[in-house]
Amino acid sequence: MEERLQKIYDRFQKREYRNLRQKESAMPCKFYEEKDLAIRSARRLMEAVEAEKAMLFAEDKIGMMRTLQKLPPLLTEKEAEEVRAKYFIFDGAQVGNISSDYASALQGGLEGKLKEIEKEIKKYKTGSKEYNELYAMNLTIDAVYALAEKYKKEAEKLGIKELACALEHVPAHSPKSYYEALVMMRLLNFSLWLNANKHNTIGRFDVYMYPYFQADIASGKLTREEALELTSEFFIDLNFDADLYPGVQQGDNGQSMVLGGMGTDGKEVFNELSKVCLEASLQLNLIDPKINIRVGKNTSYDTYYLGTLLTKKGLGFPQYSNDDVVIPALMEMGYEEEDARNYVVAACWEFIIPGVAYDIPNIDALSYPNVMLTAAEKLEAFDTFPALMAEVKKNLTATCKQLIASTKNIFVEPSPFQSVMMTNCIKEAKDIADGSKYNNYGFHGAGLSTAADSLAAIKKLVYDEKKYTAEELKAALKANFKGYEKLHADCLAAPKMGNNDDYVDSIAVELTDCFADGLKGEKNERGGIFRAGTGSAMYYIWLSEHLGATPDGRYAGEPFSANYSPSLNVKFDGVLSVIHSFTKPNLGRICNGGPLTLEFHDTLFRNDEGTQKVAQLVKLFVENGGHQMQLNAINRDTLLDAQKHPEDHKNLIVRVWGWSGYFNELDVVYQNHIIKRLEFLS
Amino acid sequence: MKQAIVFSIEEFSVYDGPGIRTTVFFKGCPMRCNWCHNPEGLSQKIQVVKAPNGCLHCGACEKICAHKDGCVACGNCISVCPRGLIRYSGVAYTTKELFEKLKKNSDYLKQAGGGVTFSGGECLLYADFLHELIPMLKEIGVHTAIQTSGYASEADFMKVISVVDYVMFDLKVMDREKAIEYTGRSNEPILRNFELLKKSGVKFMARTPLIPGVTDTEENLTAIAEKVKNSGALGIELLPYNKMSGSKYTMVGMEYHPKFDEKSEVNANVELFRRYGIQAKIM
Repeated sequence: MEERLQKIYDRFQKREYRNLRQKESAMPCKFYEEKDLAIRSARRLMEAVEAEKAMLFAEDKIGMMRTLQKLPPLLTEKEAEEVRAKYFIFDGAQVGNISSDYASALQGGLEGKLKEIEKEIKKYKTGSKEYNELYAMNLTIDAVYALAEKYKKEAEKLGIKELACALEHVPAHSPKSYYEALVMMRLLNFSLWLNANKHNTIGRFDVYMYPYFQADIASGKLTREEALELTSEFFIDLNFDADLYPGVQQGDNGQSMVLGGMGTDGKEVFNELSKVCLEASLQLNLIDPKINIRVGKNTSYDTYYLGTLLTKKGLGFPQYSNDDVVIPALMEMGYEEEDARNYVVAACWEFIIPGVAYDIPNIDALSYPNVMLTAAEKLEAFDTFPALMAEVKKNLTATCKQLIASTKNIFVEPSPFQSVMMTNCIKEAKDIADGSKYNNYGFHGAGLSTAADSLAAIKKLVYDEKKYTAEELKAALKANFKGYEKLHADCLAAPKMGNNDDYVDSIAVELTDCFADGLKGEKNERGGIFRAGTGSAMYYIWLSEHLGATPDGRYAGEPFSANYSPSLNVKFDGVLSVIHSFTKPNLGRICNGGPLTLEFHDTLFRNDEGTQKVAQLVKLFVENGGHQMQLNAINRDTLLDAQKHPEDHKNLIVRVWGWSGYFNELDVVYQNHIIKRLEFLS
Repeated sequence: MKQAIVFSIEEFSVYDGPGIRTTVFFKGCPMRCNWCHNPEGLSQKIQVVKAPNGCLHCGACEKICAHKDGCVACGNCISVCPRGLIRYSGVAYTTKELFEKLKKNSDYLKQAGGGVTFSGGECLLYADFLHELIPMLKEIGVHTAIQTSGYASEADFMKVISVVDYVMFDLKVMDREKAIEYTGRSNEPILRNFELLKKSGVKFMARTPLIPGVTDTEENLTAIAEKVKNSGALGIELLPYNKMSGSKYTMVGMEYHPKFDEKSEVNANVELFRRYGIQAKIM
């Protein structure tokens, strides 16, 4: 690493810069006087910019760090109470977890956006809703300009001429170079966070940044090494304020970047800049940005190999998404071909479209085990296994309807700056909170393997072999298997999803199809549809904590597996069988997102042969119809030691559910889940 | 129908031959290599073993045990473990059963240029079994390989060599006395079988575990290089001593007593082999 970059990197690793943050917010909070919430939001951003201190260091070329620790809520306590009483609130009611249209902002500059607003605002009466929306958007651009001006002055003061010079031009105008494009991106990303937006994804960086990169490389203005250095700096910068970004756990901040895949024109995107990004991530070892690679049947082995080098680092990414499954699935859901081809992932793995979608792909989660257990509570009522399955499916369908009903009457805070960053909000004089071209909701599907394994155990032990009666099994579950050790051992020994055994895998296929059927044809109040998924998010903990013992041998309160993965309480034949099992469901029908997760002991990567073969394995998964995969290189002993001696493992990074974070910064329940995942891996 | 005792089938084993492979570990070995990291593979008998991680020390397994003087693998303790940590090591398979099991992933193995590797223990203890099974796998297009210490009768060795696609052949200790001291067996049958392998025309790779002060001495490595030179071997794979070797002994109720200094660095002298024109790779 170059000395300059090393300095920035060290500054981040030491964390001392955090002491430079303002102890108390300097925001006067006058914005509450504004009644119109869109304009109020814009005024809050203006106040935040006003209160921010431009903070640069001599070694920065891009820089920027937050000094405001907290942003005041948009609503007063009283207003919030009223809203909570009247509406359904999701994730704090802020817009987030969507993908901005960085491309159009870069192409036209914010001046382009302003011109568009100027043109549109003339169509509306002063004080009308549309007028106010556009006016608010205009104010946010002014705020971003003020922020840029502050940083320009600071750059001048410190003698960072190139930054001062770049800020002379961006964000108002389209960048003249890759460097300027990076500065503009940093400013836009920084502003979205300062605007209280959540889970601000980075999107298809190698698509919207490529023209600037390519032009500079072609003209000789920039060498590849310089591009790598600048990209690395931009990556480090994304980490400085990450502890301030809201999420369920620290690290859950949504800064996912997507590389490669089919372009809107149908051609492969993966380019030299994609490689530069992978190299930057490889040399930095940081949790942000979280790298995703889009792949497909035409993806070369080399791409998988580069990705696997990152896996080997133990960062828990890249995550792979399979275009051959995802694009047709999105089109089936109603996305236009060009949009489907342009998909990215949201904070974790949900498939969303940049610029034109305000999908809420994580609005709630189905608990497969809960649905199963509700039926199993009446086990003696069913003479045959198909009768039990029919009851399970009846419950599942009913749960789908409940989930759908619970999404009604949603309230989302307006976000004029996020609206500026979308493709059509200005043209339609509409805040993004009021929807976009796509307004679909997605439900996760947590605990699939727990449910499928449980049903397989019931089928085998109660119906096929008649080894236990329904009453005995129910009593054992009630007693949390205490006093039923033999029965428990038989439950554990029953077929498990992940061993390529149709006995249980076929049950998983039925369950997932039923989930898809249960949502089919339903419309949400914003005109969108409901998407079924394979993710778990934090629901593998939330939905399992209070759930009793299950017939697969899981004790009461034990977690499900995260995402789309085999259960934690059994040893499996191996990854080939796991891949077979988990590609059996009709993945195109449950394509909201949620990866198959595979854990590998880090010694597997001890020489290049291991790395090559893991790359081949991912390719195998993709070529056999897997939709999404995420791999971990991990060592249980290291994690145990980190629990005992956190001071020795400050930079230990682990994958949690859809994101990577620092092990030390996780609650112990999440730490223990990761350790448990690895019990059978040695 | 032939039968074999298998103690593990490992999918996606990456260091056991070309491509993505499934490795079958047969139970039982005539050798007693001092550094063996797979003590489960020594006895040909089915055993009861307990996984080292996750034990609650609840005492349930000890309470039910009726053979405290010596385990007879009755398996009574298996079902009482609340964590499911105790299991049988060793499953008897007929050729048909093992074939069916391996066939389930054969599509992936073929697609990824891999196949099935038979290891152990010593797979040649099951020469008749392999002689029957390997052609069945080849019939459905699956590449086959063995990993062997080379210690077997000429007849058994040839039985397998005549059908298998690829051989990973261990050359451990070349000195006759030291071989007995460290591997518990004479190396004469091994060296004889190595000559047979050379003549067979089967593709093969030499393999040497690098044990500090035992196999990794300049003298031993030179002797191995002399042997491998012009033998037709594709090269040699050097496997540095695994410091975790002793970790599985308690699992099978044994103790690990290395007669060498575990902590000293291994001499992974790739250069020595290169001087002989041998492709050497550290695994």
